Amino acid sequence: MRALTTHGLSKTFKVKRKPEGLSGSVRALFKPEWKDKIAVHSIDLAIEQGETVAFLGPNGAGKSTTIKMLTGILHPTSGEAEVAGFVPWRDRTKLAFRIGTVFGQKSQLWYHLPPIDTFELISRVYELTRADYAARQRDLIERFELGPYLHTPVRKLSLGERMRCEIAASFLHRPQLLFLDEPTIGLDVVVKQRIRELIRERNRREETTVFLTSHDAGDVEELCSRVIVIHHGGVLLDEPVERVKRDVLSRKTVRLTLAEEADLSGMPETAGVDIRESEPGRLVFSVDLKRIGIEEALNAFLGKVRIADLTVEDPPLEEIIKHIYGSQAREEVRS
Amino acid sequence: MMSFRGRMARYAASGSKGIAVGRIAWRQQLAYKTDLLLRASFLLLILFVFEQLWSAAYGGDTSKVIGGFTLKQIVWYLVFTEALTLAVPPLAARIEEEVKNGEIAVRLTRPMSYVGYHYASYMAEAAFRFFVHLAVGGLIAWALVGAPAFGAGWADLLLLSAGALSILFLLHAIVALSAFWVEETSGMSFVLNKLQFTVGGMLLPLDLMPEWLQRICAWLPFQAALYFPARAGVQAHSADVLRDLAIQIGWLIALAAIVTWIYRRGVGKLHVNGG
Repeated sequence: MRALTTHGLSKTFKVKRKPEGLSGSVRALFKPEWKDKIAVHSIDLAIEQGETVAFLGPNGAGKSTTIKMLTGILHPTSGEAEVAGFVPWRDRTKLAFRIGTVFGQKSQLWYHLPPIDTFELISRVYELTRADYAARQRDLIERFELGPYLHTPVRKLSLGERMRCEIAASFLHRPQLLFLDEPTIGLDVVVKQRIRELIRERNRREETTVFLTSHDAGDVEELCSRVIVIHHGGVLLDEPVERVKRDVLSRKTVRLTLAEEADLSGMPETAGVDIRESEPGRLVFSVDLKRIGIEEALNAFLGKVRIADLTVEDPPLEEIIKHIYGSQAREEVRS
Repeated sequence: MMSFRGRMARYAASGSKGIAVGRIAWRQQLAYKTDLLLRASFLLLILFVFEQLWSAAYGGDTSKVIGGFTLKQIVWYLVFTEALTLAVPPLAARIEEEVKNGEIAVRLTRPMSYVGYHYASYMAEAAFRFFVHLAVGGLIAWALVGAPAFGAGWADLLLLSAGALSILFLLHAIVALSAFWVEETSGMSFVLNKLQFTVGGMLLPLDLMPEWLQRICAWLPFQAALYFPARAGVQAHSADVLRDLAIQIGWLIALAAIVTWIYRRGVGKLHVNGG
């Protein structure tokens, strides 16, 4: 079953252009100049029920605008969409029963009250029966381990605790489709991991379709099965995460803190290892896992440097996206 | 077409959602103790100042009648209008903030009317504050000019206050929803508040105003929001109450139609900020 389809979905905004300076502002007051800004340009999507999709793109690529059209908040300039069987902007209220939203930087919890009060309100707004609400609440409280802070005012919760409550709250009405916008922003690694696990578990148990935007490669890698990248308002790439991982996520960044200053001048080049930064006390290099293993790469440096500390990181998502844009551009040139 | 029973069920569902929002808003009010205390002390101050002022106007004569009001009635009238005015939550600032920071996106993806949500939360807060202010204001007025006339007047006051707060909601909603188009609503809010103070009869019962101004006020919605309930509280005439109620209902229908029209137009071309 299709969870979401769009066809030629586009949105153009009229933006007021203000010339520079005070005289420009005054002129704009009497004779405003309008300019069309294409935010989303003819997007075609087809997402099946139960899929977990990462929806990526740099700032200003049209991610938020697309999500706002898919949730019925914005009317498109042209094109069609169907979400959970409804045209979002025409049946916003009916659609609202079927979808959930989590905006990492906006809270749905009442700040001065304990989370349980917001849960109760949500159960009423989504018209859950009392018995259903009680069962649902028990299940989510247990799985999300919310017991200890259910009765603590939200303002006294840590960000991690609050986010767990936010996400549990958005699952309360069993949405078929959950829109997550930066759900792990600002959280530490352990909490991020836990939140991803919880979302994945809901996806498996209830076949909730997940539509996620994030700047965190970990969210994409661990939570999603498919990646859609948009750029300049259009779809640039739509592929399984596995393939993107093979092609792009195969690079790791290794950061070494050195105990002594190292002299790498006479060192031969190692295939698949690319030194990015080399300064006293610090060495950063990237490893192409398709060509060389992490251990082998480290071996190349052992004996030449004395390592005090070491971290292995995924490249930041911006870099991955940049890589995708790069290869896309190369392909365009070739064709 | 939805059947009659289906429509009734929808209304009942909307009503119970409104009550749920009202309950949580009421609970949140209890968390704002400092704000409540501050408002109450402010009320004490203004009522004291006005009592001094009116005492001077009446020359300290408790039996003197000006424009149909004795000193005691005027002071109690002020208690009622102040309790209503200070009860109104800053609706325009709130909606403007929601539009600016994009929080409106969260509200619009809920299966509940946006205006309905704000009405429920507004009424719960306003009712809570109204009763607190009435108690505090009543205490000082009682101490300064003596007990009020209890009886039918208070029942009329409560009845007309529900309509009055709803009219104030709609007036403020018109200003608030303009945030969908303009960046700043505080100027319009300022004007609205000052109209309440003057032609709404907050500072002065309309009966004390010049004849020509009274005639203008009769055609404006502001009198129904403050003057009607406060006058009914001090001078109970059941015939007047019925007429006041009818005028309130008329304004409620007219203003609700305007708010619905503005909302429909606004939400259609809304540009939600932020991501």
